Amino acid sequence: MSPTAPQRTGVQLLDSLDAAGLTGRGGAAFPSAVKLRALTRRRTTLIVNACDGELGAVKDGWVVANHLDELLHGAQLVQRLARGDVMFAAHRGSATEQRLRAARVDVLDAPSRYVSSEESSLISLSQGGLARPMTKRSLYIQGGRDSTGRRIAPTAVLNAETVWRIAQIAERGPKWFRGYGTESEPGPRLASVGGYVGRPVVVETQAGVPVGELLSAARVPGDAEYVLINGLGGAFASLAGVSSASWSREGLAPFGARLGPGIFEVVDPRRCPLDAVSELLAYAAGESAGQCGPCMFGVPELSGLWQQYLRTPSARHRRALDINLGLLPGRGGCKFPDGVAGLAVNALAVFADHITEHASGRCRYATRRTA
Amino acid sequence: MTSGARVEDSVPLQVDRMACTGHGVCAQILPRNVALDAHGYPILLDDRVDPEEGDTAIRMCPARALYWKGS
Repeated sequence: MSPTAPQRTGVQLLDSLDAAGLTGRGGAAFPSAVKLRALTRRRTTLIVNACDGELGAVKDGWVVANHLDELLHGAQLVQRLARGDVMFAAHRGSATEQRLRAARVDVLDAPSRYVSSEESSLISLSQGGLARPMTKRSLYIQGGRDSTGRRIAPTAVLNAETVWRIAQIAERGPKWFRGYGTESEPGPRLASVGGYVGRPVVVETQAGVPVGELLSAARVPGDAEYVLINGLGGAFASLAGVSSASWSREGLAPFGARLGPGIFEVVDPRRCPLDAVSELLAYAAGESAGQCGPCMFGVPELSGLWQQYLRTPSARHRRALDINLGLLPGRGGCKFPDGVAGLAVNALAVFADHITEHASGRCRYATRRTA
Repeated sequence: MTSGARVEDSVPLQVDRMACTGHGVCAQILPRNVALDAHGYPILLDDRVDPEEGDTAIRMCPARALYWKGS
């Protein structure tokens, strides 16, 4: 188990990734070079996550479908540093799973649940456990134990787009990479655009482009009003407001959104967006892994309190909702409840003007639907 | 505080949310630091805990869900 120095080529790769400024493309934007340096210290299993776990995400499946050779090459480069096994995670029964199996790689098939592709869920699943998040008492890249005392071998999870970018940087160099994006969010970057659009697409783009330009490839109809950015853990924004904003940390901050996993789901304007939120929260209530009390009780409670507030938007109902929302963040073993609470807080702000109208029974969207 | 150890020097107390089953013993031993939500699960008001009281709470938790950060 004595740590051996990575090969010269490994050192070069790490230096290139540093120079390129590559960050994780699963949404957390963690510096890839830092993660890869951590996995050179001991024999580490690598899981390449191609699950597209967030609602509306399709980009990692796109990488598998269109750039499999480069993806496999990237995984091989990382494996030289990690010196352990490599697995490719995809949702059970998905086209991505089939493509990976056809390529004869080791496939980790995650059940189609929202939290099953969370980093620690995949690590648990890869070691014979359930695909449910584990408490991070330590970093699993170093190995450790879960809540029940089960030993967890050192395992790293890298997003599929990230691994593809690693192969590209090894091939074309950091300068090429930095020719795209912004100084602080460099590199070419994928975005998934779907929902109420003429043509759902994966866009090969970069940070810093106006959101409206990014969305135009999907042919967004003129009557669309809102877009959900980054799914269940994301934020709603009006298209009128966000279209001219730059797709970057600074540009999205006023909307409470981030680059994240790069997902845009245009909301169908023939439906009330508040009903869309209700559906998302009801879905979330069923997707808690049921491990942590604050989540297993708190998220279903949120769904109920949200609907109660929409029916009767009284100060008392708002207070109950706010108390629930205040107690969700930071009290789960993973960030699922944090993300769902953030979505509800954002929706209360974005759709504030429509809530009274909606409750009064004169919802303009209902009129549209029957018109 | 009974020993020379000071609260400010202690490492933060953590709740393993997956291990926690909401017995509420922590809130009784550490009333200044822990409250319980409507379902009986701890709300960590202040994770800087007197080291001796913290050790007692860790020992008494029926779910073994309390630990010092990093341990």
